[in-house]
Amino acid sequence: MSSMALYQSIASGIVSGCVYALVALSVVLIFKASDVVNFAGGEFVMLGAFAGLGALTFLEVPYFLAYAIAAVALFFLGAIFNKVVLEGVLKRAKHGQRTLVAMVIATLGLSYVIKGGVRLFSFTEEVRRLPSAFSGPPIFIGPVVMQWQDIAIVSISLALMLALYIFFQKTLTGKVLRATSQNPRAAALVGIPVQLMQLYSWGLACAIAGVSGVLIGAKLPVSPDFGGPIMLLAFAAAIIGGFTSLPGVVIGGILLGIIQNLVGITISSTAIAVTPFVVIMLVLVFRPQGLLGGRHRIKKV
Amino acid sequence: MYGSVSLRQLLPLLALLVGGFVLPMFTNEYYLYLGNVLMMYAVLAIGLDILMGWAGQFAFAHTAFFGLGCYTTALLNIKWGIPFMVGMPMAALLAGAVGVLVAIPATRMRDIYLALATFAFAEGMFWVFNTWEPVTGGSTGLRIISSNVLGFKVSNDVTAFPVSMALMCLMIAAAMYLSKSRLGREMSAVRDSEHVAMSCGIDVRRTKVIAFGISAIYAGVAGGMFTLAQSFASPEQFGFNTAILVLTMIVVGGMGTLPGVLIGVLILSMLPEVLRTTMRSYQIWQELVYGLILILSIMFMPRGIWGSLAGYFVTRDSSTSTVKRL
Repeated sequence: MSSMALYQSIASGIVSGCVYALVALSVVLIFKASDVVNFAGGEFVMLGAFAGLGALTFLEVPYFLAYAIAAVALFFLGAIFNKVVLEGVLKRAKHGQRTLVAMVIATLGLSYVIKGGVRLFSFTEEVRRLPSAFSGPPIFIGPVVMQWQDIAIVSISLALMLALYIFFQKTLTGKVLRATSQNPRAAALVGIPVQLMQLYSWGLACAIAGVSGVLIGAKLPVSPDFGGPIMLLAFAAAIIGGFTSLPGVVIGGILLGIIQNLVGITISSTAIAVTPFVVIMLVLVFRPQGLLGGRHRIKKV
Repeated sequence: MYGSVSLRQLLPLLALLVGGFVLPMFTNEYYLYLGNVLMMYAVLAIGLDILMGWAGQFAFAHTAFFGLGCYTTALLNIKWGIPFMVGMPMAALLAGAVGVLVAIPATRMRDIYLALATFAFAEGMFWVFNTWEPVTGGSTGLRIISSNVLGFKVSNDVTAFPVSMALMCLMIAAAMYLSKSRLGREMSAVRDSEHVAMSCGIDVRRTKVIAFGISAIYAGVAGGMFTLAQSFASPEQFGFNTAILVLTMIVVGGMGTLPGVLIGVLILSMLPEVLRTTMRSYQIWQELVYGLILILSIMFMPRGIWGSLAGYFVTRDSSTSTVKRL
C-alpha cells in the first residue's frame, strides 16, 4: 500500500466520518434529553435525504433551501413523535414501571413506519442520488485529491457542530437544554418546562439528522433502506464517545470513518460492513465509558 | 418448586400434541405450512420472552442464535448425515453456549448498552451468515435436504407438522416448569429490581447469564425446526426484520406471560396472510402496518393483549406491576 493511497483514504474517511458524527450527535442529543436510544435515527437521515431530493427535484429550490426544508420537516416530525407517542407512553405507564424498553420499541416502530411510508411513493423505488451541490475541478491538498463536494460536506458539518457548541454553551435555551438532560427533576424545580425542552431536543436532533441526510445523499445512493447502515455507524460513533460527551462523539464519528476506510484498503472491502459491529463490541467490552469518558458512571438514579 | 404445574395446565398441550399427529391427515398443505411457521415462531418468541419478559434483559441477539441453530442443524445433516434428533440438540446447545459466551461480557452492561452490544453481535453474525459462502452459501442461501427424524424422512410441511408440534409442546412445557422453578422466580426478581434481588442473596449476574443461555437454546431449537419444513435458508431470515417481528409478537401479546406470547405469535403470524387476502400490494404496506402495530400497541396496551385482558378481569393493587403468571 502506497502512502498516497493511505492519505487519500484517511481524507475520504474524514469526509464520511463528519457525517457519521452528525448523525451520532443527533442520537446522543436524544439520549441525553430523554434517555432513549433512537433506533429510528437512520430513518430520519433517509427521510432528510428524500426531503432534500424532493425539494430539489419537484420544487427546484436552490440547494441551501434543500437543507432548510429537510431540517424544518424533520424538526416537526421529531417533535410530533415525542409529543404524541413518547409522552403518550409515559403518561400511560404505571408509576415505577420501566418505560425505557417501551420507548425504544416505539422508536423501532417509528423506523418501520417511516421506511414503509417512504416506500409508498413510487418516486423512491429507484435508487437515486442527490445532485452535487458544488462542482468544479478537484483541488489538491498536499498529496490528497479532494472534490469540492467533499470539502463542502466537511465544512458544513463542522459549521453545524460549531453552531451546536455555541448554542449549548452560550445561549440560554442551550443551557436550559443541558440542565434538563443532566437532571430533569432539578430542572423542573427551577421552573424549566422539561417536557417542552425534551420536545425541542427531539426536534433539534431530528433536524440535524435530516441535514446530514442531505449531505450524505450526495455521496451515497439514496434508497428507503439506506438508513440502517448509517444508524449502525452512528451508534458506533456514539459509543466511542461514551454516549454522553458531544466532543467525544464527534471524534468517534471521524475516527470511525477513518477506521472504516483503512479496513477497506488493508483487509478487504467486505470487512467494511462489519467494522461498526466490531468497534461497538470492542469499545463496550474494554472501555464502556467511551474514549473521553472518565470514571464509569453506573447510571443516574 | 414454587407450586407445580398441574395436570390441568398440561392438558391443552396434550390436546395440541394429538392434533399434531391427526391434523396432517385431513388438512390441506397450506394450513400445515402456516402451522409450521407459527410453531417455529412460538418457540422463538418464548425464548426471547424468557430473556426480555422474565429476566428483563433488553437484548437483540436472538436472531443470531436462531440462525446459528438453523445453519448448524442443516449443515450437520448435509455434511455428515447426522440425524435431526442428534443434530438439532447439538445445534441448540451450541447456540446456548454461544449465548452464555456473549452474556458474560454483555451482562456487565445495562439497559441500552446491552441492547446495543447484542444488536452489534446479531448484525455481526448476520454478516457471517451472509459472507461465509463456503459454509452458509452466502447471500444465495443454503439448500436444506430432508432430515431423518427417528427413522422417518421429514422433508415437507405434512411430515414436519407432528415433529414441530411435539417440539413446540416440549418447549412450552419446559417454559411452564421454568416459570415455577426457583430459577424462573430469580429471573423475575432480577427484572423487578436488581438491588432487591441481590439483597435476597440472588446471584444477579449468574441468573442473567443463565437466562441468556436458555433463551439462546430456545432460539437454537427454533432454528432446528426451521430446517424441517423449509427447503432453503437465506441470511435475510435471520436478520433484523425477524428480530423486530419476534419483538412485535411479544409486545403485542404481552411480555412476560406465556399465553400472551402465544397470542402475539398467533396474531402476527396470521397478519401477513390476512393482509395478503385483503390488500392488493401488501408487500409495500407491510412495514408500515408492522410499525403502526408496534407503536399503537406500546402506546395503548403497554402490557400487551393478555396483560390488558388480565387487567380487566383481575382488579389488583396498582402498585404491583407484575402480571400473574400462567
